[in-house]
Amino acid sequence: MASQRDAKGISGLLVGYALVIYLFLYAPIVTVIVLSFNDSQIVGFPWKGFTMKWFWVVFTNPELLRATANSLLLGVASAVIATVLALLLALAFRRNLPFKATVFNLILIPIIVPGIVAGAVLVVLFGLFKVELSLWTSVLCAHVTFVLPFAFLNLHPRLHNFDSTLEEAAEDLGASPAMVQREVVLPIIRPGIIAAFLFAFSLSFDEFVRTLLLTGFDRTLPVQFWYMIVETLAPEAPAMAVLIIVISVISSLAGFAFSNRSSKTEPST
Amino acid sequence: MLPIGAGKPRWFAALPGIGWLLLFTLVPLLLMLLISFWTSTIFGLRADWTLRNWTRLFSTPVYFDLLFKTVRIAFLTTLVTLVLSYPIALFLARTSGFVKTIAIVMLFLPFWIGYVVRTFAWLPILGRTGLLNQGLLAIGIIDTPVEWFLYNEAAVYLGLVYVYLLFMVLPIFLSLDRIDHSLIEAAIDLHATPFAVLRHVLLPLSFPGVLSGCIMVFLLTLGAYVTPALLGGPSGIMFSNVIATQFLADNNWAMGSTLSLLMMALVFAVLIVAGRKFGLQRVFMSAKGH
Repeated sequence: MASQRDAKGISGLLVGYALVIYLFLYAPIVTVIVLSFNDSQIVGFPWKGFTMKWFWVVFTNPELLRATANSLLLGVASAVIATVLALLLALAFRRNLPFKATVFNLILIPIIVPGIVAGAVLVVLFGLFKVELSLWTSVLCAHVTFVLPFAFLNLHPRLHNFDSTLEEAAEDLGASPAMVQREVVLPIIRPGIIAAFLFAFSLSFDEFVRTLLLTGFDRTLPVQFWYMIVETLAPEAPAMAVLIIVISVISSLAGFAFSNRSSKTEPST
Repeated sequence: MLPIGAGKPRWFAALPGIGWLLLFTLVPLLLMLLISFWTSTIFGLRADWTLRNWTRLFSTPVYFDLLFKTVRIAFLTTLVTLVLSYPIALFLARTSGFVKTIAIVMLFLPFWIGYVVRTFAWLPILGRTGLLNQGLLAIGIIDTPVEWFLYNEAAVYLGLVYVYLLFMVLPIFLSLDRIDHSLIEAAIDLHATPFAVLRHVLLPLSFPGVLSGCIMVFLLTLGAYVTPALLGGPSGIMFSNVIATQFLADNNWAMGSTLSLLMMALVFAVLIVAGRKFGLQRVFMSAKGH
């Protein structure tokens, strides 16, 4: 049949096209990884031989280590705070929360406000109240605000689709309300909470524009990397990019795995 | 005996989150409105009420020129991203099983890396010593490195499409994936050409995904800072770069607030127009991914 041959041809075209797009997505990243091992003083080609020295330069630079530690700690702190706030919001959304639609729009604001404006408003807020800009004041607040909606959007559907007959069954069997939360609700939504946390961590870890405006004298890894590439394109820049790539990919991959695990335990809707 | 529901989270569990969001989004936005009527001096901000920032905004053509340029870039980037993304979304929706999982993870993976690194990655490709120039030199197509691969508007488009492609592919894929396959088979049985299937079945049914992808990419591009700064050079800057200059270099918070408010007005205008046709919640719920 002609139409079936058509369908085959189209499938082939789509696969070929997909390969081109995947090549487009991966070529720059592979280039950076290759260049991180290039024994050359300039970032680029030609290839001058294999070396690990740029990684040595990165791992022995105290400023870079400091920035890495800052980013990791900040990521954990903002992810914890944002996940707790988002979980409380998502739990409240299962109850008769007044002005649900308005609150939902409020939660979406950090997604729609452009990063530069989200940073600028906090520069103004902290400036007017004479709080010094630093990693643990302005940057932490900006990161929690930024990742909160994503943590919420991760948790809300899972709690929303949660089968409440499970809770009722536990209550009928004599479980106290606190026990129901601890023994029934929490174990079921735990993978979702971990996924939300990891997702929030990776967003905070990669956040740049807000941090650039709000960081004062502190440095996070993306900000440190930014100054490294805009001031003079330092030869160890690709090695540092690889370090950032490895941390981002590991945390996101873990989040993805937990996210899939929790959607399997979710009752089908 | 405890009353039913005691110990269960109540609606007021939402209060800490609501308070946090009000304090760090809406309150400072209102403060910005106030500050846009204040005066910035070399000693900092003074509460001298003035209309100067707003008159400067409307009387200096450079701000609105840049705003129009930013909107143009955002619009074209959205269009190009849509055209590039639709077939990929279709490809993902047609695969199944293990291949599908791998294809999705492979699509997500580059986007898990922060956009600073991903934008930087184009420098060793497009630069003087980049892959493209050195490759062309090696096979003898050019004798001297080409300068115009970088630091112009075209490089900005390339970078923006690269950085935001996923935000278009994902919502379109999710809406295509939900389409009942028997609808497509029915169309084929009725001798619809592949183009007719696309035109009369797939496109209408995936329209919500297309719309939310377009809104996401348009808004993200409108606020782009890193890509124009790294790849655009002096001629490629966009509106965010001018706002950043007010805060990072000129220390002119009053003008920076005025420009920020103009940008927010544009963002809200886009959302109101889009939200009138479709609920905003739908736009974002389908955009958030898995």
